[in-house]
Formats: sequence, C-alpha cells, structure tokens
Amino acid sequence: MAGPPLLELRRVTVAGRGAPRLEAVDLLIAPGERVALLGASGAGKSTLLAVANGLLTPSQGSVLWHGEHPARSRRLRNRQQARIGTLWQDLRLIEELTVQQNLNAGRLAAWGWPRALLNLLVPLETRANAAVLQRVELSAELLSQPVGALSGGQRQRLAIARLLRQAPLLLLADEPLASLDPRLASALLQLLLAEAAPPRALLLSLHRPDLLAGFDRVIGLRQGRLQFDAPAAALNGPAGAAILKDLYQGDHPSSAMAAAPGAGPGAPASVTAGEAHPRTDRA
Amino acid sequence: MDAADPTTAEGSASSPDTAATGTAAAAGAACAAQNGGRPSAPVRFPPPATPRTRRRWAPAPPLLLLLPALVLLPLALVLPRLLHGGGLELIGRFLVAALTPSLDPLVLRSALSGLATTLGMALLGWAASLLLGLLLGLASSRVVWRTLVGVVWPSGLIRRLLALPRAIHELLWGLVLLQLVGLQPVVAVVAIAIPFGALVARVLADLLDGLATDRLDALRLAGAPAPAALLTALGPPLLPGLLSYGGYRLECALRSATLLGVFGLGGLGTDLRLTLQSLEFQELWTGLWLLLAVMLLLESGLGRLRRRWLMPPRLSLAAGRVGRRGREMVLALLALLPLCLLVARALAVDPRALLAGPGLAAGGGGWSIPFDLPGLLALPWPALIGGTLSLTLLAAAVAVGLPPWQLLLAAPWRPAGIVVRLGWALGRLWPPPLTALLLLLVLQPGVITAALALGLHNAGILGRLLAEGLADAGPARQQALACAGVGPRLALLYGCFPAMARPYLAYGAYRADVMLRETVVVGLVGATGLGSQLLESLSSFAWDQLLALVVVYALLTLIGEEISDRARRRLLGGGP
Repeated sequence: MAGPPLLELRRVTVAGRGAPRLEAVDLLIAPGERVALLGASGAGKSTLLAVANGLLTPSQGSVLWHGEHPARSRRLRNRQQARIGTLWQDLRLIEELTVQQNLNAGRLAAWGWPRALLNLLVPLETRANAAVLQRVELSAELLSQPVGALSGGQRQRLAIARLLRQAPLLLLADEPLASLDPRLASALLQLLLAEAAPPRALLLSLHRPDLLAGFDRVIGLRQGRLQFDAPAAALNGPAGAAILKDLYQGDHPSSAMAAAPGAGPGAPASVTAGEAHPRTDRA
Repeated sequence: MDAADPTTAEGSASSPDTAATGTAAAAGAACAAQNGGRPSAPVRFPPPATPRTRRRWAPAPPLLLLLPALVLLPLALVLPRLLHGGGLELIGRFLVAALTPSLDPLVLRSALSGLATTLGMALLGWAASLLLGLLLGLASSRVVWRTLVGVVWPSGLIRRLLALPRAIHELLWGLVLLQLVGLQPVVAVVAIAIPFGALVARVLADLLDGLATDRLDALRLAGAPAPAALLTALGPPLLPGLLSYGGYRLECALRSATLLGVFGLGGLGTDLRLTLQSLEFQELWTGLWLLLAVMLLLESGLGRLRRRWLMPPRLSLAAGRVGRRGREMVLALLALLPLCLLVARALAVDPRALLAGPGLAAGGGGWSIPFDLPGLLALPWPALIGGTLSLTLLAAAVAVGLPPWQLLLAAPWRPAGIVVRLGWALGRLWPPPLTALLLLLVLQPGVITAALALGLHNAGILGRLLAEGLADAGPARQQALACAGVGPRLALLYGCFPAMARPYLAYGAYRADVMLRETVVVGLVGATGLGSQLLESLSSFAWDQLLALVVVYALLTLIGEEISDRARRRLLGGGP
C-alpha cells in the first residue's frame, strides 16, 4: 500500500427521517483495493456512496479524500472530486448529446470554458475517445451517434467509458449490475475490476453475493450500520454463508419493501427479492 | 425528465400549439392529454431518436441556448451612444425608492383600490374569454363538426375568421373601443375577452383535433349519440391541457389589465403611469410591490391547483380521495359565476354601455368613414413594416437570449439566483410601456429602446419557463457532473441545458410571435413601426388609416404566426 488511503470515513452518520440512513460508519480504502459493498435494499449502500463522492455531507463524522478533508474553496474541492468517479445506477448520460460529447463530458473538470464550448460544436479528442470505447468493447463508429440511439448494454458501457475518460483514482459504482442479464453483468464487472489496479481502487455496491469473485474485500451494511468488513476469502465456506445470512436476515420478499423508509435517494427498487438472498451453493 | 420533453412525448410534434400553452407544465399536461390522458409520468429512457443525424456540424442543444444572446453584442456596442446623461440620477432615485416605498395611508388606499379594479377587470375579462373561447373552440374543431354534423369545412372557415381578432392586440381593441364607447369599465373587459377568447378557441381546437379518436369511434360504433360520445371520449383527456392553459390565461389577463390601465383604462396601471410621469417613485413602488405580491401569489396558487388537480399523488387510492378533485373543480366553477357577478357589480361593468357609446352615436349615421386613398398610400409603408420587424427581432433576441446566460452567471451563488428570479418577476409584471418610459430617462427614443422594454418584459416570462423546466427535469445529471468535480456553471450547461434547449427555443419562437403583436404597446417610445403610426392615427381619428394599419398589422401577425409555427414544429418534431 503506497500513499494515503483514497477514501476514509470516520464515524460517519447521515440523519434520515426517523432512523439514521448511516450510523457511525468507519471505512478505509487503500489504492489497489477492490471492495464490494453488500446489503439489502435500504441498508444505506447508496447513501454511503453519496457520502463518498461528496453528494451528501454527513451530519456527523468526517470524510477524507486522499487523506484530505473536503476543501472549502470550490476550486480545490472540484479538484478533489475530480479524482472520484461515480458510475450511477441510472447512468446519468446526457441523452441529447452525441457519444463523443458525452465522453468528453468526463474531462469537463479538467477543461476550461473554451474547450467545453468547443466540444459542443466540433468533435474533440477523437483518438482518446476511440481508445476508451475500445476498452469497453464498443465500436468507434458510435462516436457521432446520439446517446438516445444506443441500446441498454451499450449505454452501460458508455457510462463506464466516460468514467475512464475522467480517469479518477477512486471508482464508485452504485448497483451497476442490477438490471443486467447475467452474461453482460459479469462482463461489465470484469471490466471494472480490471480498471481498479493500483493506484486506483474500486468500491462497488452489489445485491448479489454470487458475484464476489475478483474482489479483495467485502463490507456489509445493515440498517445503516457496518455489519462486517472482511477479506473476500472469509466469505467462502459455511462461515461465510452464515455471515451473509445474517446480513440479509429478515429481507424476505414481503419485508424488503418495509425496509424502504431508510433508503437513500437512488435506492434501488428494481431488484427482485430472489436475487437478494444469499446463494450458498457457490461455496 | 417529464413528458414536457418533446423527445419523450411524440404528441407535441403533431400539435405545436401545445407548446404555445404558456408554461412547461401546460405543455406537459397537453402532451399527457394526447398520450391518453394520464398525467405526465417520468420516463426513464426516451425512445431512441432517429439514428444517424444528418447535421454533424450543427451546434449541440446546449449551445443553441447560448447563441441568441450573440445578437446582443452589437447592441451593447450601440447602447452607449444612445445614452444621455440627464436621467442617471433619476434612475438612481428610482432604484433607491424600491427600498423605501411610500406607506402613507392615502397612497396605500389608492393603490389598493386601483389593484382591486385591475384584478376585477382581469377576472371578468378572463372569465368572458374562457366562455367565448370554449364556444368558438368547439365551433372551430374538426372533430366536433365531423361528429355532430358530418362535414368538416365550416371548422376551417371559423378558424380562419378567428385569426383576425387574435392578431389584434388587446390594447388596440381597448383603444378602439375607448374611442367608440368612451371611458367605460366594460371596455377593458371586452378588450381582454375578444383576443383572449380567440386564443383560447385556437388552443382548444388544436387540442381537440390532436386527440386520438379511437375511443370516440368506438363509442359511436356502439351507438352512443354524438354529443354524449364527444363528451365522454374527448372530455377527460382534454381536461388537463385546458385547465393549465386556462390558469395561465388568468396570469396573462392580470398583466393585460395592468397594461390597459397604463393607457388610461383605469385601475392600478393608470396610477403607476401617473406616479412615474410625475417622478413620485416612492408612491410608484407602493403599487409595484403590491402588484408583485399579488402576481406571485396568483402564480403559485395556480401552480398549486394545477398540481393538485392534474397530478394526483401516486398510490392515492384511499377511499376518501376518490372523486375529490372532480368535486373541487365543479365547486370552483360554480363559485366563479357569483364571484364574477359581484365583481361586475362592484366595478359597474355594464355590457349595455357598449351599444350606447358616444362614438357609435356620432358615427351611427351610416358609418361614414372618410376614405383617402392617396393619403393611405403616402404612408411610409416599407419603413413602418421594417421598423416593426426589426423591433420584434431585437426584442426576441433580448427575451430569448438573456435568461440562459443569467442562470449560468448566477449558478454558483444561491442568492444571485434569487435576485435573477426576482428580476424576472418584476420584468413580467412591469408593463412594457412603463419600462420604456423608465428607459427614456437614460436612453434616446428609438427601436433599440423600445426593443429593450419589450424584450425585458418577455425575458421575465421566458425566464420563468426556463426555471420551471429546470425544476421539472430534476438535478440528477447536474449533480452527477458536480460530484465529478465540474464547476457549477459547466454542470448546469452540460447537465440541464441539453434537455431544455429545444422546448425553450420552441417557446421562444411562439413568444416572438406574441412580441410581434405586442410591438404596438411600445409604439409610443419606438418612434418607428406600425405601432406608433397606429396610435397616432387613432388619436387623430383617421379611421381609414387606422383600418388599413390594422389590416396590415393583422396580416403581418398571421405570417409571423405561420413562421413561428413552422419553427416550433421543426424544433420539437425534428422535421418540417
């Protein structure tokens, strides 16, 4: 492990209506780590990611990015946040622009106004964009297409490609696999895992404990609290199954909705309850 | 992103007038009406746009929002030359007076009574225009004629005839009626009701004809009588669009009633003008703040009603709430009638006065209008028309170009955003001729001064639409960019403007058409164009000139309407 941790949460609490959405969470992510974030719907996964990327300010506790507190000056803070890239569950692509312009939107934090405006007028940095498209296995011919013309799988890949253009150190991903078919899900997961080589790191929230291969570390959230933080290997075998069972305890189809009040703004609603159950047959 | 976004609701392409209904919410509701009457539900992914766009070189949508303001650059170069130093101190006094409005009970009482008169005129004019518009709208709808009578052509004929009252601004109606019947409270009401009624009729007919007719056909095939089938099949899907447009027209009626007052038809507008001309700025601001408060209350109240009636909260199937909004609407309508009667009584509005005016009595002997053809031809027509057009285009550039830049500039600071929105509210409510008078304190009269007055007023209207659109679209994409370290202005440009660009420009095209009609309002200051000539002819009782000018004006407006319709269809539908 070299350098300061990319993300550090110290006793982070986020207040919610009634129960807190996060409660006294401690977390440290070092360069090179690939961390999976598990938990049932409404456990606080999205809230934790929102705190990590600066969308939410914790009501108590503190967040450190690269060993630094969030800066007060907007310019410095922007520079800090540019090192954190988020893959949103709803992708948040800019529908009205072309693939090329969307990819360049990943560079906006580094660009000034002149290039940002020029990007809306002429194709910019075509070679770099073609290269990232290739990394996510999309054709460079798509560059001039409007995003509205892409299929669902292509959009997912494009969102990852935009993240690669941003070139952040810390990659955050909020349920990126939730609505995908199994083959596409594992392909995208491999892509993200491969990008998380040092000095980068990956924090990815998941519903399904059957996709943990390739992660170094797994953390579990339950009702806003950190339930466990263990090496991925520890989750194999019957002991791991017990941990997972504990994590999803009470998360039956009927009660999954009841847990919703604590859900974050982007809390997933589209996951079938069957997937949320631990699958011990892998072990 | 809601159904107001044209890419998600293909309905708006077939009927561009849904975008003319005033607010994004209105357009959204109108689209929803065409999508089967359901309130606009959020759409996650719009249907794929046409792949392979042919315009590779074209500026992207967010840039389109920034381009109109480029016209203002040369304007900024010319402006210093128009300045005359004399009035700067007065402008300063005017601005300072905003903070210290007069609280003298006498002034307050006069302002309040003026406000009551203006409100009453607006309410009556609006109610009459709705009634008129409903009848005329049904009469100019193809579906109605086909279902009830079996022939379609009368609808087209009526629609074309209605273009004339629509093309003439309410101020002209007011001034002409003023000459004919004298200063009567009823004049302002009728002046508002005629053009507004024709506008409502057009929107209603377009909405009606834009609805899918499969349900109507099904009912007819099942043997339902024509009127019942029409009401059952088309009534419910029509309601949201009609309601939100009707509410929007009430806001317009308040603005118009104020404007008519400025030209001497009574109410607060008259007070505002008198206090401005006598440079009593503190008294002026008393009236202005009152008017602002009433207008903001009205806008937010109407917005709340719209949301309550049109977008019932999801999963609200609790037994007590079923049918609630229907009952409320009926009650509100029932309450409106006695209210109107009371207001009419209080204002002494008497329709009979229309038939017994001095102007009519004088001209009654055979309507002897002097006709002086050489005199008519001697009018400088090209200059008049050219002046009107350049005034319209300049004003449109100001109105469409300013708001996006104002939002961008204010983006990093929340207080600045509030100041910008307050400025828009003042611009909306402040009648353009008063702005023009104010500008005359520091600028020389001319096209640019008039265009600024007209443009700033309309910028207030367009700015509000832009802000509403942003609120509807939600902050998700902007937040995503901000979380990646993008500054607030660029996050706004890339996150929010792309979706707003086309609907906003389409509305801008519609507004430009309205501005063409409104040029008469700033005619006094413009010193050019048909508007100023019209006012001159009117005050010198040159009826033949007036008639010719009105006809030319109406023609111009109709052409402008056609052009703006096409522009809108292109912007919203992506095709001609």
